[in-house]
Amino acid sequence: MEVFARNLLNGISFGMVLFLAGSGLSVVMGVMGITNLAHGALYMLGGYVGWTVAIHYGMNFWLAVFAGGLVSGLIGLTIERIFLRHLYKQPNEQVLLTFGFVYIITNLCIWIWGGRPRMQFASPALSGLLDIFGMPYPITRLMIIAIGLIVAIVLWWLQDRTRLGAIVRAGMDDKEMTTGLGINLERVSMFVFFLAAFVAGVAGVIGAQLMGVHSILGLDILLVALIVVIVGGMGSVQGSLLGGVLIGLIDTFGKSLFPQLAMFTMYLAMIIILLVKPSGILGRRI
Amino acid sequence: MAMGKPKSNRPSQGPLTRLLPLIAGGVVLGVLPALLPSYVQSIWTKFLIFAIFATSFDLVYGHAGLLSLGHAAFFGAGGYAVGVLMLHTGVTSFWIGLPLGVLTATLIAVLCGFISLRVSGMYFLLVTFALAQLLYSVAWNWLWVNSPGMQGIAGISLPDLGIPSFTWNTIYFYYLVLILFVICFYLVYRIMNSPFGYALRGIRESEIRMQCLGYNTWLYKFIIFVVTGAFAGVAGVLFAYFNRLISPFYLGVGTSFLPMCMVIIGGSGTLIGPVVGAMVIVFVEYFSSLVTPERWPLILGGAFVVAIMYARGGIIIYLVKVWERISNRYGSIED
Repeated sequence: MEVFARNLLNGISFGMVLFLAGSGLSVVMGVMGITNLAHGALYMLGGYVGWTVAIHYGMNFWLAVFAGGLVSGLIGLTIERIFLRHLYKQPNEQVLLTFGFVYIITNLCIWIWGGRPRMQFASPALSGLLDIFGMPYPITRLMIIAIGLIVAIVLWWLQDRTRLGAIVRAGMDDKEMTTGLGINLERVSMFVFFLAAFVAGVAGVIGAQLMGVHSILGLDILLVALIVVIVGGMGSVQGSLLGGVLIGLIDTFGKSLFPQLAMFTMYLAMIIILLVKPSGILGRRI
Repeated sequence: MAMGKPKSNRPSQGPLTRLLPLIAGGVVLGVLPALLPSYVQSIWTKFLIFAIFATSFDLVYGHAGLLSLGHAAFFGAGGYAVGVLMLHTGVTSFWIGLPLGVLTATLIAVLCGFISLRVSGMYFLLVTFALAQLLYSVAWNWLWVNSPGMQGIAGISLPDLGIPSFTWNTIYFYYLVLILFVICFYLVYRIMNSPFGYALRGIRESEIRMQCLGYNTWLYKFIIFVVTGAFAGVAGVLFAYFNRLISPFYLGVGTSFLPMCMVIIGGSGTLIGPVVGAMVIVFVEYFSSLVTPERWPLILGGAFVVAIMYARGGIIIYLVKVWERISNRYGSIED
């Protein structure tokens, strides 16, 4: 029972990192129609920046989270303003362009931080164990679950309950009509793209508490984030949350129940979902 | 996307103008390497192997419009087939290795095609990516396809052609690759210019329209996916012999990126573009490995981004323009 509870919490906390990594990708893809393969690289960049602030300079952990998000957000915004802006409605070119940026960002990170992987790090205030019904459990993982839930609620609120979310959805359905109503769609898409990259950077620092940071992370995280988006369905916050937690649980339980199949359970889940419901569990449309 | 054949259908082209590119290509590929030192010959060999790989990717991306991030799966599968054959049975015959490699790549392509062509657009991309990574982790974990104590298969020997008292040297292997390159290139040329090729380009432009015209578009996409898998398998087999080592890296997305770069930089949807792109990438990689090997991904990524933003048609567009200017000036003399 204790093993089960531990696996459950581990799975949910890992799933929250996956949700944070996948949500920005999913929103940008489903709402703005941009496929940003550099999303995983932005996650990695956030992780490295967070490490520099929290460990190298020994500053506050929350400042590190914010700095990681900000740097990733600004780099993402730069890519969008200079390059992606010219490639709207050209999915193949967007994919190729952002894939090129995976290589550029990864190599620049190796240049700046070196090839040495960074260990997991957390705020000293958060390291330690908490008793849950007699089971000691690390506080960092509980904190990750809490952050994931908060971000999910904020993003959901932005998407479904604000004027901004309504503008974004309207702009995707009929760009001409929306701009005709006097709405500056350019500025709104800039903000959405920045927000998505910001969340990726935050996810990098949060995820570094579980997995550390290393230079292959850009492609690794991209892959799991894409799987999360496929499983959950693209374009909605709820979809990524469900997909992230589901994949986190499948991966964690798979590793403890069938260790020899550990690397394949995630892919199997994805293939089964695709064969049964290609648009994902909560997918809006293909 | 600048597509279609960048070929002028001007009637004033004399026979010499049409033959000259072929002769120039023949000299550059057939005669020139024999005169060069052996390390340049091996770069030339690598270039031709990747030219086969890039041409196969262009067939599926440039013509059918299917952007796959897992094309290296077939390349690696071909290489692994040769490696496993040698590891477990000691058979080095080329006449068994090549068909086995191509067959393996084709079978993998059939399986991947069945799964990934259920979906289209972005989802297709994600699924091909995930399937290639799945193969990567299979190759990483399955001891049977690894040499003892390492990840991958090392010590793959050059193929046995079954000719008595024949010993390999760099230029002989180069000519073997050249023969296969010419065969593949000719086959791709025939596919491009067949009704099948035209139907593929129709699907790329508007799949719904082709369906309304009564084409089974799924079948067309499936066939081209499998055919390009087989071509990538040929390249993989040759690469395994050339590199003497095959590792999970050659199944993964890092290897899939190379033909994408070659096709985009050379010019997609053209026959010769991927070959030119392969030449540029392989040679620039060689020179950058002399100067700054660790900055190579940065150079590659940068060149790739510039090509997509500012030179969408690829290098081939400029070559064709130069060629047309030359043939316009001198072409009329020969007529």
